[in-house]
This record gives sequence, C-alpha cells and structure tokens, in this order.
Amino acid sequence: MPGTNGASHAVASRGQNGEASHAHNGAAIPSRRLTEDEFDRYSRQMIVPGMGKEGQLRLINSRVLIIGAGGLGCPAAQYVAGAGVGTIGIVDGDVVETSNLHRQVAHATSRLGMKKVDSLIQSLGDLNPLPTYVPYPCLLEPQNAADIISQYDLVMDCTDNPATRYLISDVCVLLGKPLVSAASVQKSGQLIVLNCPPTPQGLVDKPYPPCYRCCFKKPPPAGSMVSCGEAGIIGPVVGMMGVAQAGEAIKILASGLHLPSPPLAEGQPEQQRNLKQPTLLIYSYDLEAAVGPYTFRALKMAGRRKTCFACGESSTLTLEGIKTGNPNYEQFCSLPTATHNLPPENRITATAYNDAKTRGALPKHHLVDTREMEHFSFGCIDGAVNLPFGKLLMAAAKLKRDGGNSTAAEVVEKILPRPSSADAAAGEKITLEQEEDTPIFVVCRRGLDSQEAVEKLKELGVDNGGKRKIKDIIGGMRAWKEEVDPMFPFI
Amino acid sequence: MSSRPPKGHFHVLYFATAGSYTSKQLEALPAPLPLRELFSTLEERYQGMKESVLDHSLVTVNLSYVDMQTDGEDEEEEVIIQEGDEVAIIPPVSSG
Repeated sequence: MPGTNGASHAVASRGQNGEASHAHNGAAIPSRRLTEDEFDRYSRQMIVPGMGKEGQLRLINSRVLIIGAGGLGCPAAQYVAGAGVGTIGIVDGDVVETSNLHRQVAHATSRLGMKKVDSLIQSLGDLNPLPTYVPYPCLLEPQNAADIISQYDLVMDCTDNPATRYLISDVCVLLGKPLVSAASVQKSGQLIVLNCPPTPQGLVDKPYPPCYRCCFKKPPPAGSMVSCGEAGIIGPVVGMMGVAQAGEAIKILASGLHLPSPPLAEGQPEQQRNLKQPTLLIYSYDLEAAVGPYTFRALKMAGRRKTCFACGESSTLTLEGIKTGNPNYEQFCSLPTATHNLPPENRITATAYNDAKTRGALPKHHLVDTREMEHFSFGCIDGAVNLPFGKLLMAAAKLKRDGGNSTAAEVVEKILPRPSSADAAAGEKITLEQEEDTPIFVVCRRGLDSQEAVEKLKELGVDNGGKRKIKDIIGGMRAWKEEVDPMFPFI
Repeated sequence: MSSRPPKGHFHVLYFATAGSYTSKQLEALPAPLPLRELFSTLEERYQGMKESVLDHSLVTVNLSYVDMQTDGEDEEEEVIIQEGDEVAIIPPVSSG
C-alpha cells in the first residue's frame, strides 16, 4: 500500500494512544492517533478546513443507518463509506434486478438476483474495508424499526414509499435521531434534514427542528403516487440527491450535531447555523430544455409544528404503539389495493376483447390507450389512439369549465386524437351520426386509470345516455401481455 | 424558469405531480391574491387538483414556507400574494 513505509512519520499504528483531545466545540470525542491506512485514506478530506482530525475521528466513531439500497442508497452509501463512517447499517429486502442498474450504480450485472444489501456491502467493502457493515436483508416495518434504528446515530431515508417514510420519521423523533431524507422520481428530487439537532417529543416552548410530518402532514392519495418503476427515473437525478444526502450526513456527524449539545455558557450565542428552519433542496431536471439553466431551489422550511401528530405538544405517539400497529401506516397512506370497480357491463377482459376482434364480432369502435406517450411509443394494440390519462383529465376539466353543452359526438371529437392517417385510410370513416353510438374501449397500463377514464367519459355524457357502450380492458396492457401477446414490450 | 412575471401577475411553479397535473412548470396568475384563495383559484383552473395534489403539498412564497393549514394554530396576519412574487407548489416525492 503506498505510504505504508513512506514518509508518514507522524502516524502511529492502530491501538497506540494518541494525544489529548482538543475538542472544544461540540461534544468530546475519544482522541487517538489515526492508523496509517486511515491517515492515507482520509487525508484529502481531513485537510479541508472545518474537517480536520477531530471531524474524521467523529466520523470513525459514528454509526449510520441507510434505509434502502436503491437509487438513493447506492451513492449515499458509497460516499458515507468512502468518508470513513465507522459503522454502516443497510436495510433492504429486495434483490438486484436488471432494470435497477442504470441508477443503482453500486450493484453489478454479475450480482443480479443477489440481495441488495449483500451486493451493496460487497461493493462498499471493495471501496473501503475499514468500516463495519451491517446487513438487514428485510423491509423496515413497524415491528422491527425501533430495534434497528436505536443502534445508530443518524438515519438516511433512501426508501421508495410514503408509509415507510412516515414510519422512519416517527421512530427517529421518539429515539432522538437526526434524519436525512431524500426522494426522487422521474426528473425531480428533494432533500431535507429533519429532527436535527434531535429534540424531545412534545417540546414547543421555542423554535425546534421539524419532522417529516411537520413538513408533509398528509400523504398523497394512493392513486396519485407513482413509483420509479411506473413513472421512471433519470439516473443522475436520483444519484445527485443520494450524493447530496451523504454530504449532509457527513456534515452532521463530523461536526457532532447529532450529539446532545453541551449547555451554553452565559451569554454564549446559540449555534449560528439555523437548524430550526432547515432548507428543502429541490432539484428539477428538464429533458426538454437546452443545456442548463440548472434549477436547484433552496426553500426555507418552517420549524416544528405545535400540533404535529408525532413531535407536537399533545402527541401520543409511542414506540410501543408503533410496534403494535398504532398508528396504522398502511392505512394512513392507503396503499393501492386496486379497488376501483366499475360495474361488469363496463368491463371486458383482454382475452374477450381480442377474441371478439379476431372473430370480427366487434363493431367499429374507438380504442383509447391512456398510458403516457413514452409507454405507448414502445407498442400498442392495433388501432389504438393515445390519450394520456393526465391529458384526458385536463380536457375533461376544460370542457366542464366551458359550460358542458357539447353533444356526445362533439365531446369525442374534441377529446380523442385522430387515428394516424394510415389507419384512417384503411378503415371506414366514422360519420358524426354513427359517432353517437360507436363503442369506446379504454386500456391503460395496469387497469386502474382506464376505469377512471371510463367514469370521466360517462360524466361528460359521452355514453349518450347509455346508448354508447364504454368499457375498460381489465388489467390493462399487463393483462394483454399475459393473456394475448406474450411478446408485447410491456414496461 | 425564473423570469419575471408580467405586470400585475405572480408566478406559480409546479413541481413533481403538480407539474404533471397541470402539464406546466410555471404560469402567471393575476396579483394580488390572498394566500387563502390560492387553492380555490387553482382548483377552478384544474378541476380535482385540490384533492389530488394541493391538499398534501407544501407551499412557498418567495422561497419561504407558508402555512396553508387551517387547524387552529396561531392566527397570523393574512398573507397576500403580491405582484412579482414567486409561489411554489411542492408535493411530496416518495420514490428513491
């Protein structure tokens, strides 16, 4: 190893006693000399003003829990490990899949199918063998959250769903752990430091730092939540957020902000950094725009909310409660249960639609595909026109605003895109007269949006008082692939 | 994204699902507007937006958080969105 027998005279070997600590701000840290390997490995960050040997020793003595070994967790863990945080726990129940690799860059093609925690730890061990890595190959759940989180000094939320985000924040409030929370989907990302410095639940006599619930009191309705699997994600966008998250964690640990602060001397000013009103960093990335301008926005957040369910003055949240199902996180975030149910006369299976069409038993009809244009561009059922669900909602809202006295045929005319000219030439034109009762079939990705779309169209009177049939294809293009066309490129 | 709004207007920025819902990143609305009328003004333009986006979003005016919630916390002075202000609608993002 370079430097081992070289000029590092000032460095003692591991285990030898070091000089007395010079710590005078923040809590005391056990001082010792750095080992030669540590000295070499961390030299470039230790010489940065503000870090120094003290900062490095604090990192080495710290324990960080990274929840989620995906697009945020990979870069976050790499930088936290590289920086020399002494103990790094990683929680994730998933295995590495091919579709992860464009953004989860600490995994590898050669480790497909491996538990993500094991894959990530293998990669981190190669990067820096000095830290202790602790794998938790499971989901973080109300039953295990407190036991795991209590072992650590700081938590990094790198998860992918609202229920776990609320759970992590609640447990961090109760256990007094700072939480560095990041999230990212499609082309945007968010980052915020919460509960730092940790403040006992219920204190509201002064400004204190917020928790996740202080910022986002209510979860979004289940239907509107999209995951990276569904909405997509640009690798560097989520990567940037994970790296920034590591930066915040390193800052907090190296400066001892996670430790109880020593009592202030008479007249000594409070910490200069305004931690009670943290900054929410928003990154938005625009694929349509030319190069730059880079849009980072730093938004000043409010502090602890007096009435906060978790940290506010009359909070009744307890660790025991959480363990025994109170609150119920799944219910609070009403995780999708695919409950939307149109009456059977408004539904058709993919198989039945295909059979009828092949037999020539289907009259002339519209087939509307409500997936996003990007999904549609990979393939669709023959004859389908693309009307993304969001556009449909917008068009419906506009029609309502404009008074809503269009006939069913006019509404269709206004809302549905024209079929491509090739299709139009091949088929007979639907006359305005025929239009009134030409059936409409709606298909989406998995069969939820299509049901809402059918309801919207009926609301707009497109069903022409029941004369026109409007049906959704049950299970969407996923069902189409399973039942009809196994080669269909479903994303 | 951060050019000045036209005279007599303020800018609203739509992040994440707010952007998908409106199909816009930003638009100019007439100022002044009392903050408590912001959601109803947007709901009028984008039917259903309050329930699917606004109710769980946080809102900032000129890069600072403003409280939209009416749960009986300290009655503060009414905030009026002024000409030239920049309002941001920020829904939570959960994925990672």
